[in-house]
Amino acid sequence: MKKFTLIDRLRIPTYDKLTHVQTADLYFNAKKCKRCGICVRVCPGGCIVTDKVTKNDLLQDMKKAVKCGMPHVDVLKTGATLCMACFCCGAACPQGAITIKRNFNPKYFYKRLTQTSDMTYPKKY
Amino acid sequence: MENVVLAQSEETNEGNKNSKNETLSPLGKYEEGMPWNPVEKVILERRSTRAFKPEPLPDGMIHRILEAGRFAPSTGNTQPWKFIVVNSPEILTEMEKDAIKMAKFFMFFIDYTRGNILRRLYILSWVKWIIRFMKNELNPVPFALMSQIAQGKAPVFHGAPTLILMVEDKRGAGCPATDIGICGQNMILAAHSMGAGSCWFGTTKLLMYLPKWKKKFGIKYPYRLNDCIGFGWPSPKADGMVPRETQLVQWYEKGMNDAPRIKKQGE
Ligand SMILES: Cc1cc2nc3c(=O)[nH]c(=O)nc-3n(C[C@H](O)[C@H](O)[C@H](O)COP(=O)(O)O)c2cc1C
Repeated sequence: MKKFTLIDRLRIPTYDKLTHVQTADLYFNAKKCKRCGICVRVCPGGCIVTDKVTKNDLLQDMKKAVKCGMPHVDVLKTGATLCMACFCCGAACPQGAITIKRNFNPKYFYKRLTQTSDMTYPKKY
Repeated sequence: MENVVLAQSEETNEGNKNSKNETLSPLGKYEEGMPWNPVEKVILERRSTRAFKPEPLPDGMIHRILEAGRFAPSTGNTQPWKFIVVNSPEILTEMEKDAIKMAKFFMFFIDYTRGNILRRLYILSWVKWIIRFMKNELNPVPFALMSQIAQGKAPVFHGAPTLILMVEDKRGAGCPATDIGICGQNMILAAHSMGAGSCWFGTTKLLMYLPKWKKKFGIKYPYRLNDCIGFGWPSPKADGMVPRETQLVQWYEKGMNDAPRIKKQGE
């Protein structure tokens, strides 16, 4: 189990620095992906985009998703993404084309103490 | 970057597909490794729905969902909740507009992740004190969400055709916020078991900075509004299982002086 030190407690991370907040990242399998735009539409923060459409475009009109191109996670200038690994896109994807590359893991003041970096599906004990 | 090991490989991500003819276990029974029962299935496959069909659920279904909330457990049976159902497209549009306005207003002052370097350095010189003071509201995730909302890249209520506001009575016994959470989750599980979709919206709090909405919904002492839940028909289908971080759980199984055994839940 990780320790929460005094330094951690005092230091508020800078949210867009990957060394302070490890934001999550997704992998989109280009072979399986049918470019339907569903992941773009369901993303909580509009963080999945394609070169042509964003979440707000598709909420108004799903027809815009036709030939919208390959989805990807939006990346800030600093290299951080805005993904927090909720994987609602993966649950909705009809092709099973999305996988999580790394989990969301803030440091310092928001350090997670009992979660590990391994991600697993529900296990039948 | 921390070492990240994903137990989920490209081939095995079929885990999120709901098979149509899966067998379910009966309720009221446990055997090791048995299939999920219907209640567990609803719990594990429930995903927050953030894209809805425009038409609302039938009134009967909303009543039935509220019924699940009315029968939620609460400290000392105080039932510290008040439900407000908002079905009116006109009011929903207005709420969305005002919430975006508030997000824009706040993020203009505190969002250092946007704009030029001078703005960033200036804001960073004091914003961390504000974050410390509002550690829950300005946690990295809601902060990023509000930044996206302010930039017009994400909606607030995701077009949900019905909102149920979970108003908390501050005089509830013990910790009324816990009761509100339980009550809401009861309603959500009931909704998903009937094929509806739902999502909690903590961003409702943005509206509470505007006297207009406090007055409209009657949010004054002893009431407080932090969260609401959006309900509707999912479009596209949102439910399905997802991977989550395994948890280190302390099991105290021996004597007073023995250290707990740490088991990795979910591995
Ligand atoms: C109290 C509360 C408030 C939430 N507020 C929001 C919100 O404002 N916007 C949003 O998109 N999701 C919101 N969520 C949903 C969470 O983001 C979601 O539950 C989490 O990402 C896990 O995903 P899942 O529900 O699909 O398992 C909220 C959840 C809770 C419990």
